[in-house]
Amino acid sequence: MTNAIEIRGLCKSYEDFALQNVDLTLPGGSIMGLIGENGAGKTTTIKCILNLIHRDAGQITLLGQDNLAGEAAVKADIGVVLDECYFHDTLRPRDIDKILSRVFPTWDSALFEDYRNKFQLPQGKFVKEFSRGMKMKLSLAAALAHRPKLLILDEATAGLDPVVRDEILDEFLAFIQDEDHAVLISSHITSDLEKAADYITYLHQGRVVLSEAKDVILDHYGRLACTARQLETVEREDLVRVRKGSFGCEGLVRDRAAFHQKYRDLLVEKTTLEEIMLFMGKGEEAV
Amino acid sequence: MIGLVLKDMLVMRKTIRTYAMFLAFYLVMTVLGLFTISFTTAILQLIVMLLPMSAFSFDEMAKWDRYALTFPLGRRALVTGRYLFALVMTVVAALCGLLSCVLVSIFDSSDLMLENMMTVMVCLSLGLFYADILLPLCYKLGPERARPYFYLIIFGPIVLLFGAYQLGFFGADSLSFLSSIPDRPAVTLSFFLPIVPLAGMGLSYLIACRIVENKEF
Repeated sequence: MTNAIEIRGLCKSYEDFALQNVDLTLPGGSIMGLIGENGAGKTTTIKCILNLIHRDAGQITLLGQDNLAGEAAVKADIGVVLDECYFHDTLRPRDIDKILSRVFPTWDSALFEDYRNKFQLPQGKFVKEFSRGMKMKLSLAAALAHRPKLLILDEATAGLDPVVRDEILDEFLAFIQDEDHAVLISSHITSDLEKAADYITYLHQGRVVLSEAKDVILDHYGRLACTARQLETVEREDLVRVRKGSFGCEGLVRDRAAFHQKYRDLLVEKTTLEEIMLFMGKGEEAV
Repeated sequence: MIGLVLKDMLVMRKTIRTYAMFLAFYLVMTVLGLFTISFTTAILQLIVMLLPMSAFSFDEMAKWDRYALTFPLGRRALVTGRYLFALVMTVVAALCGLLSCVLVSIFDSSDLMLENMMTVMVCLSLGLFYADILLPLCYKLGPERARPYFYLIIFGPIVLLFGAYQLGFFGADSLSFLSSIPDRPAVTLSFFLPIVPLAGMGLSYLIACRIVENKEF
């Protein structure tokens, strides 16, 4: 099976920020969640994938083709939903159908109409009259109606209520039933990714600090809760990050089972993606 | 690319409709003899020149370019679509000007049709010339920062000429030499004049493509 996305050694520098040697692989038939704090490089990575910005170094392969050499061909197979609705306020869904049917060779007006009905988007209303949830659903309908193989979403579910988010997540799950399909979604809402993603890539200050199958992360990583004195008994290489508070200490453990074998009297619980993000973002190096 | 031109038309259908009403009004006034063809065609070209500027503003507001670059079209198509839109609008304005020439010649006994058509062709040339300059500027600076240049290019020469006249650099009869130019070369020149800015549009297009190629979205 071809990987939907392969990124090797991606670098992009700005005055105050640099994406450094990002490696990422998204296998076909799966969903990858790209997480990280604001300014970690998620959008920069997606912009490089879509060639919206010029990278400094690295190689990006999408659906088996170089993203620059085969740009037009590869983009015909990609559906994109960005962080906001980029359709003009004065357009209506039927206008968008007319425009995009002349842009994508594989555009399917009937499919767009199906999604429009499914998402209950009024045909004759202008985009400016839509709520944020409706706008994102419209963007998703437009991204899916040319039957893409790869969906790329940048903070597409941000600011949406749980019901709409759930509807959209269901669409992603339906979309990857075809194992040629894949989804890359950047999001802060880690609970959504825990529900839908197969792989998680965590970007921190422009670097990939974690890229693994979600189940592996959630099964292996753990949160140690202990006192400062107990923390001193733990060898530093057994902890990824630590957080020290006035009421106790916490540590992020890479291998929960192995840690439990070694430190039988210490309590290690399952952890969540959000906690891992907090450890990485706010915790200290375990030195 | 056709989709991008269609998008411009659909986004600005309300504006185009309003301008069409203006156009109809000016046409009627011209046919009734209240406005001259020169005035009407100049106004038409001026109005039409605002359309690509508005298209840039609407796109900037919606951040459309970033989205459009995710299409399987490429950066060049983005520029081609906008140039095509500007060209279509400028030519439509010129055709309306020519239509008013024909209508005026039907209702007006004075034989000014050829002269009026020359005016239309000169206005068309100016419209294309403005597009040549303004489109790359809009890509480079964005529509808001390019707007002052738009007014400078349109009204600058008028202010300069008026200022020079007021300061006595030339008198009222300074342009009388124009009357001495024989009709035939003058007509031929005016009819072939649009070819110059049309060729310039090629260069302008290449510059705009270069700007967009280097731009980050």
